[in-house]
Amino acid sequence: MEQESFSPQDSLKIIQSMLEKTREDFSRDDIYFLVWGWITFIACTGQFILKNLVHYPRHYQVWWLMMVGIVFTIYFSIKERKESRVKTYISESMKFLWIGMGITYFVLSIILSKTGWSNTIFPFYILLYGLGTFVSGCFLQFRPLVTGGILAWVIAAVAAYLDYDYQMLMGALAILVSYIIPAYMLRKKTRSVTV
Amino acid sequence: MFKELDPILHSQLRLAVMSLLISVKEAEFTFLKEKTNSTAGNLSVQINKLKDAGYIDVTKQFSNNYPQTICKVTKKGIEAFEAYVKALQSYMNPNGQ
Repeated sequence: MEQESFSPQDSLKIIQSMLEKTREDFSRDDIYFLVWGWITFIACTGQFILKNLVHYPRHYQVWWLMMVGIVFTIYFSIKERKESRVKTYISESMKFLWIGMGITYFVLSIILSKTGWSNTIFPFYILLYGLGTFVSGCFLQFRPLVTGGILAWVIAAVAAYLDYDYQMLMGALAILVSYIIPAYMLRKKTRSVTV
Repeated sequence: MFKELDPILHSQLRLAVMSLLISVKEAEFTFLKEKTNSTAGNLSVQINKLKDAGYIDVTKQFSNNYPQTICKVTKKGIEAFEAYVKALQSYMNPNGQ
């Protein structure tokens, strides 16, 4: 870019093109949605299969898979922080939103283990997925995530009317529509912008 | 009535840098260089001018043994950018609306 005289119209063009360039760098978050989406989907369907088809008494142990997600998130976020050359307000907001969500899930687990799990855990979890994906979708201005969040809220309400076993499957369905499908769409969009 | 355009901002590269920094929390020198498609030398000179005007904060640090220059827009920089955009609007709509 050279220094030369330029008109107010040129100034506006520069401002506009630079603002668009920062937008391109927004969406590296799809990897987190994909990893957490698939882990939770496998855990939900895995628990359903172990409980109802295999009749394994400790079916809930499949949720230890979450540790894989935690280890991956810590490793990848440290690596990303070293490589990252820009901090956007959106990436910072997303980070704190999902840290807050993670803590909320953890505290909710403690509360529900004390007050009784049955018939409540999955509707509450799905409700929170809805909140997280809806807000993320609004931050990223990415409609499939916003829609996914709204669908998760609907699924949470429906799940409250079902037995615990079928709530697991509703959990898997919520993950599919609010995390996994929007994450692949986000990935496709990001690739098409950056290639 | 035409408002005067801030000479610090009315330069292609400095305006591009400020436009990038206004929409992010902070950015590294290499990010600015890539997005503005400028040379390191020229960018370095323009960043120093913005820094001297108090429009940006520049922090130098080391990451994995490599020097890193982090730039961040200041409150004064945001106000100057907003005033510049307002002045531009007076050129676009000289009759007031």
